[in-house]
Amino acid sequence: MTSSVLLPLLLSLKVASITTLLIVPLGALAGLLLARRRFTGRSAVETLLALPLVLPPTAVGYLLLRLLARDGPFGVKNLRFDPDLLLTWKGAVLASAVMSLPLVARTARVAFEEVDPRLETMARTLGLSPLRTFFEITLPLARRGLLAAALLGFARALGEFGATVIVAGNIPGRTQTLALAIFSDIQSGDDRRALWLVGLTVALAFAVVYAVEALLRRRTAPA
Amino acid sequence: MSDIEIDLTLPLAPFTLAVQWSTDERALGVFGASGAGKTSFLETLAGLRPRASGRLRIHGRTWFDSASGFRLPPEERGVGYVPQDGLLFPHRDVLGNVLTGARRARQGRGVRIDPERVLDLLGLTGRGGSAVADLSGGERQRVALARALCAGPELLLLDEPLGGLDLPLRRRILPYLLRVEREFGVPSIVVTHDAAEVSLLSREAIVLEAGRVAARGRPSDLFLGRDMLGRRGAGAHTNILRGRVVAVAHGTARLDAGSGIHVSAVAPPGLCLGDDAAVLVGAEELIVAVESPHGLSAQNVVPGVVRELIPSAEGGGSVAVTVDVACAREPLVAALTPEAAARLSLASGRAIFLVWKTHACRALAAGPATLKETA
Repeated sequence: MTSSVLLPLLLSLKVASITTLLIVPLGALAGLLLARRRFTGRSAVETLLALPLVLPPTAVGYLLLRLLARDGPFGVKNLRFDPDLLLTWKGAVLASAVMSLPLVARTARVAFEEVDPRLETMARTLGLSPLRTFFEITLPLARRGLLAAALLGFARALGEFGATVIVAGNIPGRTQTLALAIFSDIQSGDDRRALWLVGLTVALAFAVVYAVEALLRRRTAPA
Repeated sequence: MSDIEIDLTLPLAPFTLAVQWSTDERALGVFGASGAGKTSFLETLAGLRPRASGRLRIHGRTWFDSASGFRLPPEERGVGYVPQDGLLFPHRDVLGNVLTGARRARQGRGVRIDPERVLDLLGLTGRGGSAVADLSGGERQRVALARALCAGPELLLLDEPLGGLDLPLRRRILPYLLRVEREFGVPSIVVTHDAAEVSLLSREAIVLEAGRVAARGRPSDLFLGRDMLGRRGAGAHTNILRGRVVAVAHGTARLDAGSGIHVSAVAPPGLCLGDDAAVLVGAEELIVAVESPHGLSAQNVVPGVVRELIPSAEGGGSVAVTVDVACAREPLVAALTPEAAARLSLASGRAIFLVWKTHACRALAAGPATLKETA
């Protein structure tokens, strides 16, 4: 019993953690660009980033599947090596990364937008290069929002189902994350395990969202 | 070639800012109403306005030359910028803020100033570990000044350094600004809409009007000119007398202003016997007497000779009576109603007495730097 609950939990934590590590730098970069730079194609980037939020996850999953298929643009034939993503836990990471990135980028963007750009110019006049200004001023001031972005991304990845099931399949012990295991249990009538898993998921989600709320509240509290 | 050579143009929304200014003076002032382009001017000097064109040479080094496409980035310009609202870094404590520019101070060509000394001098001793959020408005302003000073500045840019502070606070911080100039000798440009501040903090100033330099010269000449006095109205003028403190008691001080004239004024805490001080008294506080007054409670009676009468440009306003006194190089200005001026038959060359109460004027500790204006 414990091992059958533990396995999906550990896999979910692994997939969600790696996803978070991958998308936080990417999402932060996108958020920073959107918050600070005016560039051509800005609206296009914004829209593209919002798409996974509104598309059915299964549609995103299917797109990924076609892209990664043997003869797809990112398939083994074109790349001349096997990315080994389909039906593996790495595929689950990719699927949840695509689905979680918009949330991370948007939250990061707000975090950067809340940093007064005049503080950055102030730092420049004090002799700090743009790079040092970013690491000494912008990043520390945005850190709470960025942490919240990471937690939200983690939570989103933890709950990812639709895209994952299509790209990674639902293989117990290999790609069956919490969300997929719950689905299987309901299908097969294993109510006891489903309840256990749902309980676990609720507890995890509660902890993460609680932390995010606390972070965001402290950030906006009057100084 | 002058020490400071400015020739800048910057298109702004309602007008174009255009300033040409070459000078060897080190204490500079920019006077103008809000919206005249003062802050934009400072930001252009600091390198924060990419749309500017022209030339900028400071202490023999080119900072900016749009003709050759040369632009020194802000971090290499060596300015000590103190914006109006201080802009302290909220994630750093006081010392962390002050040391932000320490790296450039070590490597740059500007003055090197010990942070401890700056904090002491600015009355921030022991505040290094304080959170920025716990500071009062006056303290924030002083921390911003300390931060600018510790970044090895070649040129201090002070944007309304006393703006946004209430009157008692302004009186307390002004002496610090005066001390900065005396102690550290960093050239500075002070931007303000307050004529008295320009007069106290600078030895050469420009008047900005809608982005153009409307006048340039010594502050006393600028503000005492017929044109300026008439336009600003006599009531807006603040007289400045300088002297040495010869007595302090019960919150008031007695100053020897020279030529046997003594002045009593409200003294700030900390003003000491022997200090050089400036006394500020508004033109509207001065009473003109045509005969030697007696039996008055007012402590200050200064004899003088009327130089000229300048009616205010806005009709029906006051008349500025400029009065030469023995204890000051520049005339004092009294604001009278046209009726009063007519009743006393005031005219150029008439001997009169200026009278004002101790509580109508306040003394400020002022360094010798501001005293040696004529040196």
